[in-house]
Amino acid sequence: MDLARLLLVTGKGGTGKSTVAGAMALALARRHPTTLVDLDQQMRAARMIGLIPGVEPDRGESDSEPTAVPNLETASVRPSAELAAFIDRIVPIKALARRMLQSRTFGYVSAALPGLDAFLMLERLRVHAERAAEQDRYVVVDAPATGSALELLAVPSALKRIAPLGTLNRLATGVEEFIADASRFAVILTLTPQEFAIREAMETSDVLRGRMGVSVAAAALNRVPYRLFERAELAALEADPACARLARWRDGAEGQAARARRLALRAGLELVELPMLFRPTLGRPELETLAAALEGRLVPARPGRAAAQAPVAAGATKHGRAARAHASSPPSRDRHGAAARKPH
Amino acid sequence: MSPTHLSTIASSRGDPLRELLACRLLICLGPGGVGKTTVSAALALAAALSGRQVDVMTVDPAPRLLDALGLDSAAASTPRAVSLDRLAGAANLGEPAGRAGAAGARRRPAHSAGRLRALRLDPKDTFDALVARHAPSPAAADAIMQNRIYRNLSQALAGVGNYMAIERLLELADEPATDLVVLDTPPAREALDFLDAPRRLLELLNSRAVTLLGGGMRRGLSVVDFAARAVLAAFDRLTGLRLLTDVQAFVQNFDGMYAGFAERAARAQRLMTAKDTAVVVIATAEAERIGQAQDFLAALRKSGIEPRAAIVNRTLPAIVSSAEIARAQFSSALRRKLALAAADLDALGRRERAALETLRASSPATMRLFTIADFEREPAALRDLVRLGQTLTVLE
Repeated sequence: MDLARLLLVTGKGGTGKSTVAGAMALALARRHPTTLVDLDQQMRAARMIGLIPGVEPDRGESDSEPTAVPNLETASVRPSAELAAFIDRIVPIKALARRMLQSRTFGYVSAALPGLDAFLMLERLRVHAERAAEQDRYVVVDAPATGSALELLAVPSALKRIAPLGTLNRLATGVEEFIADASRFAVILTLTPQEFAIREAMETSDVLRGRMGVSVAAAALNRVPYRLFERAELAALEADPACARLARWRDGAEGQAARARRLALRAGLELVELPMLFRPTLGRPELETLAAALEGRLVPARPGRAAAQAPVAAGATKHGRAARAHASSPPSRDRHGAAARKPH
Repeated sequence: MSPTHLSTIASSRGDPLRELLACRLLICLGPGGVGKTTVSAALALAAALSGRQVDVMTVDPAPRLLDALGLDSAAASTPRAVSLDRLAGAANLGEPAGRAGAAGARRRPAHSAGRLRALRLDPKDTFDALVARHAPSPAAADAIMQNRIYRNLSQALAGVGNYMAIERLLELADEPATDLVVLDTPPAREALDFLDAPRRLLELLNSRAVTLLGGGMRRGLSVVDFAARAVLAAFDRLTGLRLLTDVQAFVQNFDGMYAGFAERAARAQRLMTAKDTAVVVIATAEAERIGQAQDFLAALRKSGIEPRAAIVNRTLPAIVSSAEIARAQFSSALRRKLALAAADLDALGRRERAALETLRASSPATMRLFTIADFEREPAALRDLVRLGQTLTVLE
C-alpha cells in the first residue's frame, strides 16, 4: 500500500516520538521533499536534527549553527494562530473579526468549547496533506503523546455533534474524511521494548484502526538492543550478581522485544525495529542511523524510479539486526546509512 | 554526589531530603509516565518512617502500588492506615540499601511513632460532586450539569479529578493530627493545569463580560454588553453553534453557587502558595521529559510558586566498575563482553548527565535536584518503596 501523504507520529511518553519523527523525516527527505511539522510548540525533532537552533539536552552540540537538510523543511501549527486565521476566514468584516479575537469572553468560550483549537490544527494538517499530494511531498508530524493524540483525532466527530449546521460542521466533515483516508493520513506509533509501552501501543492501534477507522502505517519499536550475551553466558554470569545485573541491563529488553514482535504480527501491524544506540549524544548522526532503518521499510521509491529503488535493504531490519551500529563503531554520516544496513 | 539514606535523615541537620520532607504539604507534579505516584508514595513513606504523621493522596495508581499501600481497586475517599509494622524485619531500614538483609540483628521497627495513611482519589469523580454540594437545590444542580458550557468547562478548566483532589486536600490539611500531606497529582501536560484550576474558575466567574452576558437578561442591555453579545451572536451565526444562550443560562444558574466556590478556590490558592507548602516536579532523564520538567518549572515560577525540588526518576544505575569486571572469575571472552556492556552503560550515562546538567543550568540555585536510580523492576511491596526512597540522591 502507498504511504500516506501525512504521517502523525505518536506513542507513550518517553518512547522517543520526536526521535522517530525526526528520523522518519530524514528518511523521507532522502527521496522526496518533506515537511516536518511540530504540534506541541517544542520543535524537538527539528532541534535534534539541528534544523533550528536551541538547546536540546541530548544533542551534544547545543550552540552550533542550524544546518539545513536538503529536501527537508519545518513548519509548526499553533492553536492561537489557527484560531485567528479561522475567525478571519469566516467573519467578513475585519473590524468584527479583530473585536472577536480580542474579546475576553470569546477567549473563555472558545477555550471551553471542546477542542476548537485542536480541530483547527487538524484542519491545518488537512491543508498540508492536500498540498503535499500535489507536490510529491510527505509530511511528518511530531505529535503529542498517545492520550492527547487520540483526543485530537476524536475532535471532528465531537464537533459535528455540537455544531449540527454551518461552517464548522462542513469543515469537521472534511477533516473526518481526511483522517479516515489512508492515502492522505496515517499514524506511526512509537513503542519501546517495555511492558507498558507495548500495551499502550497495541491498545492505541486497536482504537485507531477499529473504532476511529484511522490507518496505522507502522509501529516503530525503538531502542532494541542487539544481543551481546549468549544464553549460556547469562547463566554463567549468575555466579556474580553485579555482572549478571549488568548483562540484564544490557540485553534485558530482548524478551519484551520478542513479545512486541509476536503481538504486532498477530495484530497485523507493520513493525519496524530501530536499534538502541549506546551513544552519549542523540543528534543528527544518530537520527541518520535510525533513518536508514526506516528508509528501506517505509519510504516509497522516487516517482518514476521504482525499479531502481525496489531491492533496497529488504528485511534488513528484521529482528533488529540492523542494530549493529554500536558505540564502538560510530554511525555513518553517509546519507544513505549504508553502515547500518551492512550484512553480517 | 552522595547518597542520602533514610536512616540518616533523623539525625542529620541541613539534610536536603529532610528539609524537603519537613513541609506541611508536598505537591508532586509532573508529566504522565514518570513514576510520580510511586515517588510520592516513597516520599510519604520516608517521612512516616522518620516519625511524622503523614497522609498520601494518590490518583490512579498502578495495581501493584495499590497492593503495596494496602488499598484495593475501589477508590477510598477516607484515608486508610498503611501498616508500617510489616516493614519490621522485612528490610533493615536502618541500613543503607546495599546492605539490606545483611544483618537480622535490628528487628525493632525503624519508624518511631510515625504513621502513614493513604487514600485514593477516583479520577472519574469530577466537578459534578462539587456542583451538587454547592448548588442551592438539586434542580439547580441538574440545570447546571446539563448545560453545554458547563460540561465543556468542567473538562477544559478542571481536568479530571483536579477539583476533587483540591477539595479533599483542603479537608486533610485541616486535620490537626496530620503533619504532612503528600499529594500525587493527575498527569498534566502543563504544570499549572492542576494548581491553577481554582484561580481559573474564579477568574472566569469574575470576568465582567461573562457577568454582563449572564445578567443582561435582567439588567437590560448596556453598550458593553451589547458588544459582547454581538461578538458571540456573530460567531454563533457563522459556525452553527448556539453559544450565546448557553453562556447566559450557565452564568444565571451559577449565580447562587458563586460564594461557595469562591471561598474554597481562594483557600486552595492560599494553600498552594503557603510557606510550608513544597512543590516538587518529577521527571525522568530522557531529553523529552527533561524538556517538559523545564517547562513545568518555568510555568510555576512565572505564577509566583518557587518549586522546592526536581526529582529525576529512573536514572541509570551504577552497577559494576571496570576493575571489578577485570577481577571477575569469567573467561576473557565473557569479560570482554562485560566491558563492552559497561562501556554502553557509560555512554548512556554521559548522555543522561548532559540532560541533568541542562536541567540544573536552567533551575534556580535554591532548587534541589534529586535523582532516583532505576529499580530494575516495578516496585511491588512497601519495602520496595522504602528502598526507592533510600536511593534518592542529591545531585550537587
